[in-house]
Amino acid sequence: MDPKGDIFYIGQVLEGKINAFSYLVDKHKDKAYNLAFRICGNREEAEEIAQDAFLKAYRSLKDFKRKSSFATWLYRIVYNTAISLVRTRKNRVLSVEEFPVDAVDFLSFSSTEEEAADDYRNSLINFALQKISEEERGLITLYYYNELDTEEITKITGISRSNIKVRLFRARQKMAEIIRKVEMKNVFYHE
Amino acid sequence: MNKQEMNDDDLLRKFLNPERIEKAPEGFTSKTLTRIQIETQSAKMNKGFFVKNRVPIVSAATTAGLIIAAIIIPAGKTESVGSTIWKYLQDLEFTLPNLSLPGWVSYIMIGIFLLGLFDRALFGLFHKGKNP
Repeated sequence: MDPKGDIFYIGQVLEGKINAFSYLVDKHKDKAYNLAFRICGNREEAEEIAQDAFLKAYRSLKDFKRKSSFATWLYRIVYNTAISLVRTRKNRVLSVEEFPVDAVDFLSFSSTEEEAADDYRNSLINFALQKISEEERGLITLYYYNELDTEEITKITGISRSNIKVRLFRARQKMAEIIRKVEMKNVFYHE
Repeated sequence: MNKQEMNDDDLLRKFLNPERIEKAPEGFTSKTLTRIQIETQSAKMNKGFFVKNRVPIVSAATTAGLIIAAIIIPAGKTESVGSTIWKYLQDLEFTLPNLSLPGWVSYIMIGIFLLGLFDRALFGLFHKGKNP
């Protein structure tokens, strides 16, 4: 990782050196893309959202007040862009039956059993994420994947800390219920 | 967190691996930078016409203003420009072969012309950036 940090490169970009922005894109692209993907559930759209977010960040870089980190500011743009896109389209509601039965189904796509189990868990999480609201998906991603605390999440989403706690509780509960249902179905399938 | 919440949290953490994030596709950085460069160039080109040509535009506007002033302001008179223009407009008379139009027609024509310009300006303002 470059020791100069985000602030140095932001300064370079503001001086007109566009290529310095590639450092910021390279550093934050994966988490920005992951946030977009978990909210919208589609790779092509996630790429579009993440690119749009970087473009918006570039355009408004001069307005970046440095009250928060660049990452927090960028995630806020990604979050808002993804939420608005998802709200414009109608999601298909998936039923528990549509989820592949178990990790064995993933073996054909993975080289080892461990990898298959990991793919299964990841797919089940994606499946459960699609069953909760786009806002809850964003909160779960920021809390569990980006490992941010509720204060940072407040800065990104604009939702109060107490409200975040309530929404996270509900989202966690819904997802856990879906996971348990799918796991339960697997037990019956193998009996 | 109560017991149920902790159970749910544990279950999610068992399935959700923070290291297993979806990575941005290959070429993401270069694609993003290309988009930024294209946008920067087109932004320069868009404002380029007025910014680059501001000297001849100001020069042409000043020349046109001076020519109009020379036509409508008679030499040696100390009247204000407004009253001179008003007089000039009052003196306007439209004549066509075998047809004599009353004086108020000129006001109507000027009014239509000015409203037309105003309409174009509003159209340009509200349809700004809607062109493909």
